[in-house]
Amino acid sequence: MDDIEPNDALLSVKNLVLHFTTSRGIVRAVDGVSFSVRHGETLALVGESGSGKSSTALAIIRLLPRNVAAYRGSIIFEKMELMNLDDEEFRKRVRVGGISMVFQGAMNSFNPVLRVGFQVAEPLIVNLGVPREEAYKKAEDALELVGLERSVAQRYPFELSGGMKQRALIAMALITNPKLLILDEPTSALDVMTQANVMNLLKKLKKELGLTYIFITHDLALASELADRVAVMYGGLMAELGPSDELYPKPRHPYTELLINSVPFLRQDKEPTFIRGSPPDPIEPPIGCRFHPRCPYVIKGKCDVSTPPMFKADGEHWAACWLLEEK
Amino acid sequence: MTTESLVRTEELRIYFPVRKFFGTVGEVKAVDGVNLSIGRKETVALVGESGCGKTTLGRALLGLVKPKSGKIFFDGTDLTILSERELKLMRRRMGVVFQDPYASLNPSFTVYRIVEEPLVVNKIGSKEERREMVLKALEEVKLNPAEFFASKYPHMLSGGQRQRVAIARAIITKPEFVVTDEPVSMLDASIRVEILLLFREIQKKHGVSFLYITHDLATAKYFSDRIAIMYAGRIVETGPTKAVLSEPLHPYTQALIDAIPDPDPSNRFVMRKIPPGQPPSLVNPPKGCRFHPRCPFFMQGKCDVLEPPMYRVGVERFSACFLHEEKVTIK
Repeated sequence: MDDIEPNDALLSVKNLVLHFTTSRGIVRAVDGVSFSVRHGETLALVGESGSGKSSTALAIIRLLPRNVAAYRGSIIFEKMELMNLDDEEFRKRVRVGGISMVFQGAMNSFNPVLRVGFQVAEPLIVNLGVPREEAYKKAEDALELVGLERSVAQRYPFELSGGMKQRALIAMALITNPKLLILDEPTSALDVMTQANVMNLLKKLKKELGLTYIFITHDLALASELADRVAVMYGGLMAELGPSDELYPKPRHPYTELLINSVPFLRQDKEPTFIRGSPPDPIEPPIGCRFHPRCPYVIKGKCDVSTPPMFKADGEHWAACWLLEEK
Repeated sequence: MTTESLVRTEELRIYFPVRKFFGTVGEVKAVDGVNLSIGRKETVALVGESGCGKTTLGRALLGLVKPKSGKIFFDGTDLTILSERELKLMRRRMGVVFQDPYASLNPSFTVYRIVEEPLVVNKIGSKEERREMVLKALEEVKLNPAEFFASKYPHMLSGGQRQRVAIARAIITKPEFVVTDEPVSMLDASIRVEILLLFREIQKKHGVSFLYITHDLATAKYFSDRIAIMYAGRIVETGPTKAVLSEPLHPYTQALIDAIPDPDPSNRFVMRKIPPGQPPSLVNPPKGCRFHPRCPFFMQGKCDVLEPPMYRVGVERFSACFLHEEKVTIK
């Protein structure tokens, strides 16, 4: 499956697999996922907890825990196969000026005993050997870029509000001039107003710096604030992938449809419904389509037997559902 | 409204001392003159940002915080003058569900023991009767088969299942009033609706009154009859949920609504309107209307001097904003 023209792609992930060893067995967090991200676009990676969206991000940026059981597939970034790089090359060529990540939980991402400025400047000092003073200056520039005062650099994390900390984290991620920014639930711990503020900032940065984002969230309403395209994950696999303008009004995978129906709308009178059942066991996922035990359209003898490939719905819109087979 | 209300506060003020070294240097005015009533079988959503005092207000209604002044009536009885022992008896008629289902359940207790505990504490029923009640409560929150879940420990359950356990614990004493403090904000979007529908079902079946504390207006829309918007320790607007959301009166309510996206792919092309600045410190809140430094309709010499009273603007609709002055009928 090629979701977009390979020439457009800044990042292209193919058959990515990331499994973990646990006492209960092998957790198949990411189980063969493919997608691409264009220069300057935002791809929202949407799914429930345990769907593999965060693990996909960790696999791309190679931040792996010790209990990895399998890590394979292809990750091509700027026409360079990241899987072939050793850790040192990866650090030099990808972590600096390549891909940066903003983690979930702004509150706990800072070291409480170091000044914010130093922590924002740290990637430059550690990875590029930039002299301290210059790095500090750059950190102040970065803080200004995200709408904070330069003096915030002198402060300690506890002196900042949640929204300010989240902004400072974005500054930290931007200081190495990355081309791709992975945002993992960047606003989930924030209040509605602060959240809207941070989303505004991300929109502004995207426009001004031409950044490319992978935006990870479980919230489809929030995803629509940034996403040019949406990738919906379920049980470690890609369920649907398509342009937001098509996916929101006309979802092609039953899971996406139910997920959209579960969102309470503020401005429309629509009774939300929920998805029956629970997410699949990541150790022993259901045979066939992993969504079939919860799917209202399940085709006996088919969905519970073989795993659906990605079918083309139209244009750049794909869904892994047997209902699309004729096309 | 006052005659049918189950829970009602009158000019409630709750201040916490700010201590530094050996002295008290100020007070956090978490709740500062709140009049709120919750009718029987009614769900009121208390909506505001973190630090606005909504959780403190919720705790006060359960008799868990001593107010500085004002009154809290529960079924006609003023909780503020009761002794600890009388309060304990009163609390049997109330329940609470907290935000974090990972922190609110004792990890070393089985689900059975967690849900049974309110009965044990309140010395309700014999051992056999309690067992029956626990299993019934688990069934009611859709943890089926109940026997199976009863033997589990919290760490074996998902976030949604844990929150169900917390709900079972809250309803096992058959309370008339339940405070739920951000019960779904830690859960996945797809599970939120399921939990809220469960609350609705419990309310219908048992006629429970709910205070639903949240910062999310979208979920409040589906699980409340009336809404109270709180800002910096004060209620700024109340009214029937649908009416408030479709036609907000207070500028702060307006701002809250503007901040929330619906799933719509055209969102990515527009910036959200956000009032400048931050919610104020509750130690030194601004004079006059507490929203005035951020308000787009700020009237100098008025909003920064006088505290706006609650204006009655329509049927059951109240807003504490001088913009309504012409339409005056003070509550």
